[in-house]
Amino acid sequence: MDSELFSPKPRSRRQLLKMATSGAFGLGLSQILSGCGWRLGNVRSGQSNTSSPNELFLYTWAQYVDDELFKDFRDVTGLRTIRELFDSNEKMMAALQAGKGQEFSVLYPSEYFIPKLVKADLLAELDHDRVQGLDNLMPQFRQSMADLDNHYGVPFSWGTTGLIYNREKIPEGIEDWDYLWRNKQKLTRKMTLLDDSREVLGCALKSLNYSVNETNPDRIKKAYEKLITLKPHIASFTTDGWRTQLAAGDLWIAMGYSSDAIGLLKENPKLRYIVPKPGASRWSDWIVIPKSAPNPNAAYQWINYLLKPDVAANVSQRLAVTTPNANAIPLLTQELQRNTVSYPTADVMARCESMTALTDEAEKLYDKYWTQLTS
Amino acid sequence: MPSSPISNSSQSWFQRLEPFLMLVPAGLWLFLLLILPTLLIFQLSLVPGIKPGDLVNPSSLENYFKIFEPSVLWIILRSIGISIVTTLLCLILGFPVAYWIALLAPKRWQNLLLLAFVLPLWTSSLLRAYAWISILRPTGVLNTILMTLHLPTLDVMNQLPAVLIGMTYSFLPYMVLILYSSLEKLDRRLLEAAADLGAPPKDVFMNVTVPQALPGIAAGVLLVFINAIGDFINPELLGGPSSMTAARLLYGKFLGASPDWGMGSALSALLIMLVTLAIVCLIKYGDKNARSI
Repeated sequence: MDSELFSPKPRSRRQLLKMATSGAFGLGLSQILSGCGWRLGNVRSGQSNTSSPNELFLYTWAQYVDDELFKDFRDVTGLRTIRELFDSNEKMMAALQAGKGQEFSVLYPSEYFIPKLVKADLLAELDHDRVQGLDNLMPQFRQSMADLDNHYGVPFSWGTTGLIYNREKIPEGIEDWDYLWRNKQKLTRKMTLLDDSREVLGCALKSLNYSVNETNPDRIKKAYEKLITLKPHIASFTTDGWRTQLAAGDLWIAMGYSSDAIGLLKENPKLRYIVPKPGASRWSDWIVIPKSAPNPNAAYQWINYLLKPDVAANVSQRLAVTTPNANAIPLLTQELQRNTVSYPTADVMARCESMTALTDEAEKLYDKYWTQLTS
Repeated sequence: MPSSPISNSSQSWFQRLEPFLMLVPAGLWLFLLLILPTLLIFQLSLVPGIKPGDLVNPSSLENYFKIFEPSVLWIILRSIGISIVTTLLCLILGFPVAYWIALLAPKRWQNLLLLAFVLPLWTSSLLRAYAWISILRPTGVLNTILMTLHLPTLDVMNQLPAVLIGMTYSFLPYMVLILYSSLEKLDRRLLEAAADLGAPPKDVFMNVTVPQALPGIAAGVLLVFINAIGDFINPELLGGPSSMTAARLLYGKFLGASPDWGMGSALSALLIMLVTLAIVCLIKYGDKNARSI
């Protein structure tokens, strides 16, 4: 009944009224009284008649597509592409569970989020017979912890989480996470950390030489206790609010993603980006096909198109995303190939660890400490 | 003109039903989009650890117990505190402005002045918060002006005062609009009578103006308080490391990294009850005072 209410199909007014009243009485009153019955966010799989075979519906992050890409794809395949944007994995999943999965044929979740989608039975397995160009990918993305052997999808972009800092204010440069703790008096209210429980606890865990995917309660507690000593010196936990302040010199250091740093460093030569020692998290965003995709054929065409080295190189050059396509990198401009923010050196790569989904217990623990840290 | 008994009775039957028939569209709207969702939130709040796809089976109060952990309780208290201060600031700043527009400003300017006050609401609240970052940051617009005037600079960015400034700015127009509509109806003859009978301006204000504006003050206070307790943009962008509020927590419980819809529902159920209580109190006591004049 609840998924009926979210159905995208147009209905006549009479039907709506009937549905509304039966919905109201069906899932509202009688079931609140009897205390059982409905399911939260039911997803119906199956073909939907809202999309034509010549259309591909994408659900993606804003920075990963542009009109030129759609035009080129149409020239090659004849398929028209329609996009809808999300700004967090959780919002994307909520939309899927509200029945939107029947519209989209392609999704762009982050790597750590794929196991959650798999667990909720939302993803279709990737048919490797229909995919060409998987061997173009860097080996670490073929053996990803979250999606071994590209069982569910292919990576589209990746990056690291590090520190962006103002070289004029910190001429000596930053090497490791502990720099923040050693210089906390000097840096009081001059630094921000991300508004993200996994990344912030992850950096403290890394600074203690533990894994960013740590599930040992004692170690997570140690990381929390270490962060508590830094908290009075932090200006704010924010994912976006630091940009103008960092550029103006009011903030000296901001924890951020390499994808944010690429553009900022170009605009502002005073800024530097580093992946602190002993290591940091590596994130990646993937292309997957939902189980309820109305047009899986078009989805495979999209994936194959983006796996071509020349297309991947073109897209990553134009949209400033870092490609996991090893054969595309030699096709980039020399300047971009040498850019260590986008393409870190091998030893930096070696100390980055990909972030994966946690167990339910560990997730609760991270959340508990995060609430305590920010309260 | 004589009318037949039949048409008369059918008319009275219709007349009796008329008010109810007129309430049907709004009533249906309210039931489907307000009462029903609220009931569903209450129902969800009774299911511990619910995940999408699970059967909604109310079984325990566990989600409510989670709210009474010290860190969560502290967040709720902070939200209430911030909202109360914001409301008071809006009242203190908004009353003189509304009074001036309603009673002292030239009539032909009134609409334009009101429009000027509502104008900021036409831009996104996110944009306004970012504007405040540019103004309040240590080397921002405000401090540059203060420095040129050789005045001491303000260090409020990423602290509580910045959150209060941002929120007061966001909700002041609501307060001014409501106070204006209430003060505009003020019976000026009473003011003149009080002055004629020798009351000093302070007494006229406290005993004649304020009691008449009380319903407007109550409505404005309520509107600002409810908006303030639901705001998460200003605390997030202007606040410091301890700027977690109930609204931010609630957002995180639904769309954050580790969603917990059950506890989120319990938290929103609690906020709904809190706001309802505030409304009940204001209707009860606000009205009594208004009637006692």
